[in-house]
Amino acid sequence: MRPFKQLLRYALGSPLLKKKFGGLATDIAGFKDFSVKIPLTTLEELVAEKMSSGDPYASRLCENGAALVTLQLEYDTETRLYIALSRQDLKRYAEALRRCWSLLGLGKGDGVAIFDYGTSPVSYLASSAFTPYLSQGAADALGCLPICNDGVANMSQRAVEILKFMRPQALFIRSDCLEPFSIESERQLGRLSGYTRALVVTENEGCLPKVEQDAYEKRLGLPVYRLLRIDAGMFLAMECPECRLFHSWKDLYYVESVTRAGDDVDEGGQNYLAITNWFARVCPTVRYLSQVKGSVYSAGCRRGPVDIRIAA
Amino acid sequence: MRKEVEQGRPDGKDTWPEERLRGFQFRKIKRVLGHAYQELPFYRRRFDAAHLHPDSVKSFHDLARVPTFTKKEVLDEMKKKGTFRTGMETFNSADQAVLCMTSGTLGTSFLYLPKRWRSLRGDSLARAYWWGGLRAGMHMLMAAPAWHSLAVQESRVIERLGATCVIPWGTFLPRFAENFLTTLVDTRPDFVSMFLPMLYALLAECRRRRMEARLAFDSVQYLLIVGAPMTPRSREQLKEELGVRDIFEGLGNPEGLTAMECSFHRGHHIFADCCYVEIVDPKTGALLPAGKRGNVVITSLIPYGTLYLRYDSEDLGEILPHACECGRTWPLMEVYDRRTNTVEVAGKEIVPYDVRLCLDDFPELIGVPFAVVRGEKSAPYLKLLIQRPATGDPSGLGARLRALLRQRLQVDAREEWTEELPERWKGVAVIEEKDWGTPRV
Repeated sequence: MRPFKQLLRYALGSPLLKKKFGGLATDIAGFKDFSVKIPLTTLEELVAEKMSSGDPYASRLCENGAALVTLQLEYDTETRLYIALSRQDLKRYAEALRRCWSLLGLGKGDGVAIFDYGTSPVSYLASSAFTPYLSQGAADALGCLPICNDGVANMSQRAVEILKFMRPQALFIRSDCLEPFSIESERQLGRLSGYTRALVVTENEGCLPKVEQDAYEKRLGLPVYRLLRIDAGMFLAMECPECRLFHSWKDLYYVESVTRAGDDVDEGGQNYLAITNWFARVCPTVRYLSQVKGSVYSAGCRRGPVDIRIAA
Repeated sequence: MRKEVEQGRPDGKDTWPEERLRGFQFRKIKRVLGHAYQELPFYRRRFDAAHLHPDSVKSFHDLARVPTFTKKEVLDEMKKKGTFRTGMETFNSADQAVLCMTSGTLGTSFLYLPKRWRSLRGDSLARAYWWGGLRAGMHMLMAAPAWHSLAVQESRVIERLGATCVIPWGTFLPRFAENFLTTLVDTRPDFVSMFLPMLYALLAECRRRRMEARLAFDSVQYLLIVGAPMTPRSREQLKEELGVRDIFEGLGNPEGLTAMECSFHRGHHIFADCCYVEIVDPKTGALLPAGKRGNVVITSLIPYGTLYLRYDSEDLGEILPHACECGRTWPLMEVYDRRTNTVEVAGKEIVPYDVRLCLDDFPELIGVPFAVVRGEKSAPYLKLLIQRPATGDPSGLGARLRALLRQRLQVDAREEWTEELPERWKGVAVIEEKDWGTPRV
């Protein structure tokens, strides 16, 4: 069965999605049809649904029995939103993080430091030790040793201590901690390149602007990459050290670049990213319209010849 | 027919006769001593310097010959080596493991925690959550500060007991109270695990929203609280205010200690399957008997990852002399505060918890913030700064409080009433007299 057929079949178990496209689901013939007929879901819609229904999952939840872990999401909306995950959802979501780490070149024996909240997918998918029912985190799969600092900017001093005494291969850092951390590391460590190989800046539904990225690379004297999170869609994509585009994976996600009205945009055109998640069974994500402007490029990078590539 | 065992039900170790328990613990101690001597250079050096071989430890009394150490020594070792690997850990790059941290005023130290450590310590901790009422199918609210070893253990506990969980966005700092309260109201957990200061921040958030705390905690049956001591009266008041069935207090530290109240609330049972606790005189290092306060010295019985062996936590505590009415044989203990928060008054050592117990005798003062003011030298009387209660006459209260402090602690006291004290974080504030107005939190 085509993946979208399978997805639409179980997505109809979600009251919100059933309401949105219940009648259309059986008529979808191909990806083009899928993009044309299936309506986008926006953050505003989820907020409105939560407020009207009182359901913390904004009526997205299906297969209630399999929901083992619920996470409050990082959105500064009028009401708070949540996702719920099963064992299988956690496993596949962590697989996305593993691929992000792999793309960066992380492997067996590498230390990986994370300066983010424990509730960020960058942290909780890193190790099975951090999250109940996660059988294998990114670090477990690759044989890395992870350490997580809290995501509070005034914990920069502790992040510097981590670099000093662990010398990780990479430091994943929240974008709002980047400046305080840079100041603290300059004060205490001087050139950062003696302590780690790369920084990876992460943000939910946002990207560090290219100009700032370049400025930090110059200032800190080491590569600064970006990791894109779209938490409502359980989506992760990693900036490739080689082609400098974000890589994502066809077996995990379907990524479109669309206008706010939902029209498709040709390759190279700048619009918003819409995410369809193939693995999330408990809170299905079908054409979630993110706030990230971006365009989808064809595959072709040596580091991941079949990966979807995104410019954002 | 075989009776089906409820998921996560703990075994009977906690009711073993004392003799059997001591034999079990001593075998575990011998194992970690041998492991430390053979595998861990940090300890090998210390043993050799003390002319001690693990084989010569033939009793609990002999264990006291193993030199204690403090966090400062761990930090010094890290600085000297320039790495978190101090030689206190069995490091294997093939292990599935995480690094966690301990925080504090002295600095950050690291714990290398492989999967086997998580299994043993987490399964041990599952007993505490079981005592606290967590059962299969229940929904638990947990914070996820992944930097702390408690998160590593809690994730295992939830799996073992078959619960589901919800995690609010952020971390356990009062400024995230809004997220925690919303999560509570939205997802209606049955069980909440939380740091006490965060619970007080949630209550403040309820007041800000003009929401009854009982309503916010409507779904919650049990609370498990860690991070700061709770007096019996403040527990009762919290229970009443929140409308929960019971509130349990846990004690612990990443270095090895787990201790937990049972439903009798007569102290904290030391989890004898994973740690051994001694109380020592901080001046002489001599072992102190039950009922005497001293420094809490911990020996972890888990020979994986970073091992703490006779670690002086610099916490002030005691093994309680009484047995628990619950029938469990695991000894009871109490930890009052960090030793650095001790105040010397008329030759007596007082910790803020002693004062809190007295304050809580007055309904108007239960939960009211206060601070102990400490001078450079031993003071002739106890100086207190207390937030003015919403109701009642502070001057009349003051006289009664002074009388009670004299009777209970045998010290004279002087109190000053103030409009507001800064929000407390860990434990109770001690204000240095020279820094009057800038309390440590």
